[in-house]
Amino acid sequence: MTVPFADRDGGEIEAFIVDRYLESLLARHPADVEGVPIELRATAQRLAAGLPRHHPSFRFEERLALRLAEVAAQMRLPAAAGAEGIVVPIAARRPDPAAGTGPAGDDAETRDGRPTAVRPAVPPVVIGGVLTSAAISLAGAAIVAWRRGHPAGDPMARAIRAVSRARTN
Amino acid sequence: MARSALRKGGGPEGAGRPRIAHLDRDRSLVDAARADPSRFEPLYRKYVAQVYSYAVYELGDHHEAEDATERTFLAALANLHRFEERARPADGEGASTFRVWLFQIARNTVAERRRTRRRHPETPLDDLPDADAVAPGDLAAEVVIRDEAATAMRAVDRLAGDRRRAVVLRFVHEMTTAEIAGVLGRSEGAVRVLIHRALRSVARDLGERP
Repeated sequence: MTVPFADRDGGEIEAFIVDRYLESLLARHPADVEGVPIELRATAQRLAAGLPRHHPSFRFEERLALRLAEVAAQMRLPAAAGAEGIVVPIAARRPDPAAGTGPAGDDAETRDGRPTAVRPAVPPVVIGGVLTSAAISLAGAAIVAWRRGHPAGDPMARAIRAVSRARTN
Repeated sequence: MARSALRKGGGPEGAGRPRIAHLDRDRSLVDAARADPSRFEPLYRKYVAQVYSYAVYELGDHHEAEDATERTFLAALANLHRFEERARPADGEGASTFRVWLFQIARNTVAERRRTRRRHPETPLDDLPDADAVAPGDLAAEVVIRDEAATAMRAVDRLAGDRRRAVVLRFVHEMTTAEIAGVLGRSEGAVRVLIHRALRSVARDLGERP
């Protein structure tokens, strides 16, 4: 790929190289690290693996779905206008079959100690304020989140609240 | 709205080139919703978590984020007839101009919320990664995850304005540079520089506060 570097300063060139590295990192097969300072690689890997996704509570999601359905029922949108210009299909992104499989990518280092790959980043997920991760299922976290918010008297709810209190004390 | 914003998103790198409408990955869903608003739900289900997550990072409060999410989707549904699908080859494979358009609405909605209310003064981390959901056997691993998430979020939270937004869109929502440019109304080159500077800033920050 030809990069028009002639009219770019050093910062822009490095930004371009870092951008290409991020593209590969987020595609779960980091490569092309040459020219990317090690501290930026480490920071990018940390952010990719550490920044959680937040998911709304299922109660909120369902409530808003109902609200949107009500609004939609009252709407009469005009028919879509004819498409302008030439329509060119863009191929859907294909999942990389090698991505996230096996331990090959786990903190591998070259002989000079530089990281060449990161573990397949599975960022944590927060559902309505409750952290989950690959270690537990989304459904499990949802149930725990729901139970914490409902003053039910059943043994499971009491147990969750007791554990919650014990950890926060 | 979508048209002007996406033109900006193309930025100087797309200037002078013929504009060609591209089929993006959400086209069938958008067409169905336009024909019948009651079929908006698949688009909502597909993007509700992303919009909500973006709002949480921006507003630092779950209730505020829920409100912003609701406003965003109501506005999107009401204005769907104005959405114009326009992507460029540089937007990358699998690009969704609908997602860019939706995030433009979310960005405006969040900005409105921030203008009317001061940002939550406390760090949002206190009520986010909650160890209560930890499975007992995985406590140590979850503590590590929690610490990593908290550290990363604090560092990102200290970034200013568009640097923070660009990092969140890149690392959390895994948007391409072109998509981020569309959301933020900047050129792709400007977005690359934003993220590069943000990474340098976070690297310094993490180095000083391990």
